Amino acid sequence: MTTTTATETHAGPAEHHELGFIRTYIFSTDHKMIARQFLFSALMFLLLGGLLAVMIRWQLGFPGRPLPAFVRWIFPDTMAPGGIILPEFYNSLVTMHATFMVFFALMPLMAGVFGNLLIPLQIGAEDMAFPRINMISFWIMPVAGFIMLASFFVEGGAAGAGWTSYAPLSASGEWTGVYMGQILWLISLIVLGFSSILGAVNYVSTVINMRAPGMTWFRIPLATWSLFVTAWLLLLAIPILTGGLILLLFDQTIGTAFFRTEGSGEPLLWQHIFWFFGHPEVYILILPAMGFTSEVIACRSRKPIFGYHSMVYAMVAIGFLGWVVWGHHMFQSGMNPLLGMTFVVTTVVIAVPSAIKTFNWMGTLWRGNIHMDTPLLHAVAFVALFIIGGLSGIFMASAPVDIYIHDTYFIVAHLHYVLVGGSLFGIFAGIVFWYPKMFGRMMNEGLGKVHFFLSFLFYNMAFFPMHNLGVQGMMRRIYDPNQYEFLQGLQPLNTFISYSVFLFAATQIIFAFNFLWSLRNGKVAGNNPWKSSTLLWQTPSPPPHGNFPEMPIVYRGPYEYSHPDHEEDFWPQNAPPATSEAGGQFAPAPNPEPVPGD
Amino acid sequence: MDRKPMPGMMVYNLKLGMWVFLLSEVMFFTSLIGSYVILRYAHPEHWTDPGVILNVNLTAGNTFLLICSSVTMVKAFAAIQQGDLKGLQRWLLATILIGATFVGVQVYEYIALMGEGFVPMLDSYHAVGRGNPHEGPSLGGPLYGATFYAMTGFHGAHVTIGVLCLIFVYVRALNGAYTAEHLEGVEVIGLYWHFVDLVWILLFTIVYLI
Amino acid sequence: MEDQEHAHPRYYLIWFILAALTLAEVVYAFLDLPKVVLAVGLILMAVWKAVLVAMYYMHLRYEPARLWIMAISPLPFAAILVLFVITEFGFLR
Repeated sequence: MTTTTATETHAGPAEHHELGFIRTYIFSTDHKMIARQFLFSALMFLLLGGLLAVMIRWQLGFPGRPLPAFVRWIFPDTMAPGGIILPEFYNSLVTMHATFMVFFALMPLMAGVFGNLLIPLQIGAEDMAFPRINMISFWIMPVAGFIMLASFFVEGGAAGAGWTSYAPLSASGEWTGVYMGQILWLISLIVLGFSSILGAVNYVSTVINMRAPGMTWFRIPLATWSLFVTAWLLLLAIPILTGGLILLLFDQTIGTAFFRTEGSGEPLLWQHIFWFFGHPEVYILILPAMGFTSEVIACRSRKPIFGYHSMVYAMVAIGFLGWVVWGHHMFQSGMNPLLGMTFVVTTVVIAVPSAIKTFNWMGTLWRGNIHMDTPLLHAVAFVALFIIGGLSGIFMASAPVDIYIHDTYFIVAHLHYVLVGGSLFGIFAGIVFWYPKMFGRMMNEGLGKVHFFLSFLFYNMAFFPMHNLGVQGMMRRIYDPNQYEFLQGLQPLNTFISYSVFLFAATQIIFAFNFLWSLRNGKVAGNNPWKSSTLLWQTPSPPPHGNFPEMPIVYRGPYEYSHPDHEEDFWPQNAPPATSEAGGQFAPAPNPEPVPGD
Repeated sequence: MDRKPMPGMMVYNLKLGMWVFLLSEVMFFTSLIGSYVILRYAHPEHWTDPGVILNVNLTAGNTFLLICSSVTMVKAFAAIQQGDLKGLQRWLLATILIGATFVGVQVYEYIALMGEGFVPMLDSYHAVGRGNPHEGPSLGGPLYGATFYAMTGFHGAHVTIGVLCLIFVYVRALNGAYTAEHLEGVEVIGLYWHFVDLVWILLFTIVYLI
Repeated sequence: MEDQEHAHPRYYLIWFILAALTLAEVVYAFLDLPKVVLAVGLILMAVWKAVLVAMYYMHLRYEPARLWIMAISPLPFAAILVLFVITEFGFLR
């Protein structure tokens, strides 16, 4: 079990004793099956998060109007009497929408699905370093999810203090009317933290110790690099959150006053602890999408990634700098202004590595032999929408500007541009691109394009106007903006946004149909339908247990597309070098372990 | 024809994994201990001088015990490095017993402290200090109690988990699962145990002596 | 695993130093010195003990350098959290 060296892998299923249904599909230790488990669970939670958003937009688009009859019956009088959403329930909606999206949809999709699927295959390993811990890491997630779902059904309903759960609002049920729900929210996230930490241990250990011979650090594909940096952020940030959640839980249950104002508690301390986690968290949510985008853009432009080394350094820089910017979430908290100034500087600096990456993506596309298929469309959309989200970020990085736009819809616009425009489109790119490897079949290209164009259109219709709403003063998390005279004129825009959101949500049905239909009816993929050069595509689709018949040897970098010395427009990392002089920078890297000549 | 992966960290996977995990534990204790440092800096009036409420001598002895258990642990590992299975078993048992004693002393301490009114809750905090009558004035403030129990309580929980894991390793050792070539399980539980000791070394100082 | 023939006596020597430092800390804590001097001295002693445990009992001294470099990597972030937030409360008081 605890071997020091990896020997030849087992070839194919024939050499393994047959595992039963439970060990194959339920309690699997195979990273590819675990990735699938994460995928199905996360997509369900994405659906739930989306439905909660639809309800939020129902209230904002048609304030006080009862929900349509066909859903009205679902909600008891404590939530929506006569179908009219109560303000308290609205608070729960905004809280739980964000909570499910961030913790149960995006994080499992980024790290759980793609971390598991990509890392071993891209580095030439047979599985993760700790397969059983990997399995445990998955199963913790549904347990935590169940606890979070249960919170809807307890007296007082689900947590209603925002996904940021600021004290003292969250420390006592007096003001939200939520008691048990808030406690369950805390317990659920404390439990979920273990899933992230165990997963991170696995990813870090695997990337460090299980790379195939010749796979030096600067030959690792950018998707794996992004997941490696993300894993470090998870490893170090999640425990901080866990500590804070525990202290808040004590405040709520046993009557301590860490963050409550009575007895010299410090609400501001909660904010610092939360955002010290919270900022690395948002990089956890975007870095993998950046990695996927790099993979897709390089492959579909048939060009090496522009500036591979700077891409790596940029991601590492983002990983480091992400720890010293958290105060920009707190400019209006009453914090020390000098401390605030420090955060302004660091926040502006962190835009630089992201900008470098953006220019590099554009440099990769430039003069490429571009195949404009669905993954590339999503990847390019990622770049464009991430730019918009990043630019709005520059505004709020300035504390004086933030005085005006903090906690308005300008912030809501920004965060949705980076999390949906960025992360979600990046995830779509990743799912369509790697679906063939996971399931052995291609998704339908026509449906994929329709889904992309409609999503892109409705998404921007929904979220771009929010910049406007914010600058005009509409605040976040507000149940009824019409209670303020100066906001009443914004109602038409809010209604327009709501319709756009409904259309965006409906468009996802196309994706869901494509996904499910293609499982059985998609075109059979073969090993390498995209003609990519990474190791992952040099195996069958889906790969057998053990991934590779024997550990591959790596001779070159991950993006050798359209190489002048090579006939085909891609050159797999493990294809042996040509016998003629293709040396120079393309020679195999010196490997300290001597490899027996083949 | 053995293909080997890149050297990486140049230690075996399980050891690397345990070290990586311990880094997450560093951050966990950072949030608890950091909160304590920040709250104490903000509200120093909640704290008393050392020894007024907490029993420094008893806990100093307990600290010494835990350090002893680190020695027995490392002796256990040294034993199996030489292939001495019996030695491994004996030293592991010693570590378990000392570890359990540490937890026991802490539990005893908690009971005594709460009896004197030193509790984590805001409303019922009325710490009279060691050797003082129950009707005496309240010393310090509730943040002292809350941070004390949070930090030492979670450390104690980690020790308890460590003891349980040690028992698991001990049972495997009784069944002869470890040899001089196959001792990774012992080494990594040792790392965890030493880490728990290390955290206590820091905690004892800042909670009891400062 | 590395074997150090000199390892055995080392373990007991370290134990002795740790015990002595513990005793020293307890004595030091009750001396009549300014608070800051007490705090700094105690922390230095505690850190010294912690480093001994890490280097000799956790064998970092004998592991590849990259391992201890990785091991100390979270410390700067931990320090940043505490130091930055302390300035917060320095301001508010």
